[in-house]
Amino acid sequence: MKKFVIALLSGVLVAGALAAEAASAATVTNKDGETAVLVVVEGESRMEVAIASGATEMICPSGCFVTAPSGDRIGLQGDENVEIVNGNVVVK
Amino acid sequence: MRSVGKLPAILLCLLALAATGPVMAQKPTQPAQATAQNAAQPAQKTAPAQSGQTATQPAGKTAPAQEGAQPADDGATPGTATEPATAAQPAQTATPPAEQTVPADATPPAQTQAIEQLAKAGEELKRLTDLVDKAKDDDTALAELKVQVDALSKQIIGVSVSTRPRLEEIKARLTELGDPPGEGQPPEADIVSAERKRLVAERGAINALTGEAEGLSVQSTKLSNAITATRRALFSNTLLKNTEVSGTMFNDALSATADETRVLTRSVTSWLSFAWNYKRVQLLSALFLSLLAALVFLAGSRRLFRPWIQHDITDEEPSYFRRLSVAFWSTMIPTLASAAFAVSSFFFLHSFNVLRSDIAPIVAITLGVSVVVFFITRLAQAVLSPRDARWRLVRVSDRGARMLMVAIFAMALVNGLDYLFGGVSEALGSPVVLTVVKSFVASIVIGLIIIASAWIRPTLRKDDDFDAHGRSWPRLVSIGLVLIGLSLIVAAASGYVGLARFIATQIIITGAILVTMYIGILTGRAVAKQGAFGETAAGRYLERRYNLEQVALDQIGLVAGLSIYALVVLFFIPLILLQWGFQIADIEAWAYRAVTDIKIGSITISLVGILAGVLFFALGYAVTRFVQRWIDGNIMARSRVDAGVRNSIRTGIGYTGVGLAGLIGLSAAGIDLSNLALVAGALSLGVGFGLQNIVSNFVSGLILLVERPFKVGDWIVSGTTEGFVKRISVRATEIETFQHQSIMMPNSLLINASVGNWTHRNKLGRSEIAVTVSYASDPRRIMELLSEIAAAHPMVLKNPSPSVGFTAFGDERMTFELRIYVADVLTGGGVRNDLRISIYERFRDEGIGEPFPVKIEDVPVEDQTGIESDEPEKVGEPKGATSAEARASAEARAPARTTASGRKTASAAPLDEEEEVEEARKRRTASRRANPNR
Repeated sequence: MKKFVIALLSGVLVAGALAAEAASAATVTNKDGETAVLVVVEGESRMEVAIASGATEMICPSGCFVTAPSGDRIGLQGDENVEIVNGNVVVK
Repeated sequence: MRSVGKLPAILLCLLALAATGPVMAQKPTQPAQATAQNAAQPAQKTAPAQSGQTATQPAGKTAPAQEGAQPADDGATPGTATEPATAAQPAQTATPPAEQTVPADATPPAQTQAIEQLAKAGEELKRLTDLVDKAKDDDTALAELKVQVDALSKQIIGVSVSTRPRLEEIKARLTELGDPPGEGQPPEADIVSAERKRLVAERGAINALTGEAEGLSVQSTKLSNAITATRRALFSNTLLKNTEVSGTMFNDALSATADETRVLTRSVTSWLSFAWNYKRVQLLSALFLSLLAALVFLAGSRRLFRPWIQHDITDEEPSYFRRLSVAFWSTMIPTLASAAFAVSSFFFLHSFNVLRSDIAPIVAITLGVSVVVFFITRLAQAVLSPRDARWRLVRVSDRGARMLMVAIFAMALVNGLDYLFGGVSEALGSPVVLTVVKSFVASIVIGLIIIASAWIRPTLRKDDDFDAHGRSWPRLVSIGLVLIGLSLIVAAASGYVGLARFIATQIIITGAILVTMYIGILTGRAVAKQGAFGETAAGRYLERRYNLEQVALDQIGLVAGLSIYALVVLFFIPLILLQWGFQIADIEAWAYRAVTDIKIGSITISLVGILAGVLFFALGYAVTRFVQRWIDGNIMARSRVDAGVRNSIRTGIGYTGVGLAGLIGLSAAGIDLSNLALVAGALSLGVGFGLQNIVSNFVSGLILLVERPFKVGDWIVSGTTEGFVKRISVRATEIETFQHQSIMMPNSLLINASVGNWTHRNKLGRSEIAVTVSYASDPRRIMELLSEIAAAHPMVLKNPSPSVGFTAFGDERMTFELRIYVADVLTGGGVRNDLRISIYERFRDEGIGEPFPVKIEDVPVEDQTGIESDEPEKVGEPKGATSAEARASAEARAPARTTASGRKTASAAPLDEEEEVEEARKRRTASRRANPNR
């Protein structure tokens, strides 16, 4: 019984993890010295993505709008590499 | 690792920033101001989109900004850190109108194009929205529309992407121009400041444009998600919708799964990291509090219900009731505890604002599905008890129980996961095909499990041990299982995925509910069993507390059992109906209609009305009884009303009150009284024939109450029936004879025939004693003696005075009659008794001879003469000189003799009765014999 449950759950997890690996999205790297908070509007949800200093996050695989800490708004298609420099979003 | 590698670079950057100091520090504020110039419009436009997160935004924004200040301190650039995050927001509100002096013709062509494109996209969106509204029930059209809407979304993003290069240019140029000179610095060239102004304005315009695009994009995604939701609803609500099952579908689903997993992982990780970084306290405290709540609930209920949920190891042979209650409670309590945990954790997470709009539904459905799966597992465990055969509710083998347990758990899990993933897909707005494929897979897996479970061998023979090898299912069951499983698979494979999913879910959920219901009903039955309730804790408590008898306990047990049935039915039937997709409002409406409005043909029956009628009747009845008792006990008892009148009035009030209560009850039950006229008409015909007697008896009863020829307690004679009136009721009067036989005499007989009443106005009564003596005695002396004897008795009335009559000349005997009056006719027997004894003794003493006949004929002459010579005057005459004869004659002479009502006195009654009964039997003959003597 327990083995069965464990096997099933681990199967599900592995499948999920495998599927998750095949990710392609916009990468955002924070080059600033402090945490940057981006407001990402993707789909109908608006969320705040906090990116620690130096960290890289994957956001919006299918296009989104990002409001940078500086107040600039840009649209992303979902395959860009983005850097945050001085609170500005720089698309490479 | 990448970020770590970049750390030095970033540090360098930061150092550089620190070096440029004030110049750079100003910079982030500039774009913010620039935005402000054109911000008024977009700010208003995007307001609805922003409102969804306004509550969290300021908190979220300032928090990271402040925390971010610390690493910034290390980087020695405190100034730049806090500004940008906070600046953007207030800048939008504080729009200085003076700065809106941007020349309109300065708009570059690229931007104009973008504006045009956006306007077009907006119109397209409107058109699509209208189309979606029209095609609400058409799945194919919706699917096509979704493709268009998604394309539009891409287009909108594309528009904003196209403005990006220009924004970059502007930013680069602005950097080149540098910041405007400060207070003390020399003014720059006009051309520089004009260019800067223009650039800033353009930057603002682009930002506004992007904001507009953002709003449009949100709208179009909303539309797209709404289409998906509608399609999903169509899929799950339309049972008989055929979906084409094909390879492309699976391909689509596979890619959609990958997408969804990615999105899910990203949402969850970003949410988790966000929550962990900035809402750690709230997250942890929410989890802690909900765990605490669950713990308190679990521990508390375990402590409270420990005897009911723990398998008692020492109990070798637990009774069925005990097993049931253990099964029930050990299912309910952990389930409730886990539900409490789920609800409270969601509540706390929600109220601490930890949840995000895209995460909340996922968390909710995860918790919900977990609780349901947990419940089903607990239930299966309780019923099957795979580890301990003694506590098993159904008779299956050990191995069978384990296998069944696995099958049930697997089915519940698969179905739960189906719903969980469905919920996730819904929350993430994944394509419908994913839901379809998931349900397809789930249905097939469940179908396979059901088919496989047909080969489990759980059943046992009557005398088998639990660890014996089980036998296979009865053929009907195993064929049924195979058929159900096959039908699931066939339905799914032939495209009726919605149907298959529905059936699979119903098999599990409805099955679980039915099993619970069954356990509940078994519990009810076990409680209602004779003597079972006394064994329960509640029964023992009641027995101890109120000293209840076994019979009372049994009755309580019966009521408890019935209420358990009622509860089970009332609770679980709506649950099953809800499961089957009926809405609460429907069920409410049905229930409402069922109790208020049952239509059979043209007749409408309302259970509530009937209940109200019964209630009103009961109320009226209670009030009547109260009034009756009050008038009887307070008013009439004090005003010394005659007992008979009291009885009549009481009975009258009773009839009237009950009649009124009946009428009120009938009207409250919604029965039109005018309809009763019809019934009355029909009844009157019936009265003419069949009901004649009953009605006449009833009316006679009323007349008896009004006229009162006799009342309760009277001693009456009617026909051959004689006795005391015990009760006058609607149809008949109860008469208790002296032998304590109750005779129900129809009232009409008592009205139509003559009724003798010994105690009508008073209890005064005359009694006679016949005495016969031989002609040898002196009649005057005899009469004197008799008068003396009567006068000597204390209970003989002086007025009217007793009298003695010489009533007849018999053969060889004279007959005298002593007539006495007694105050209470009921004591007459005792008095007569005493008098006869006195007469006998006195006559003997006086030498008059026996006051009764002596058989002379049979005695030989010598003896006769001897006797006669010894006692010459002793030729008494026996005549059964009983009061029967006396009374009969008295009655014959004065038939209307009556006396007031009275009680039987304890001393006189038994004697009397015996005598009177005897009398009653002989009366007629006796009177006939007596009459010629007179």
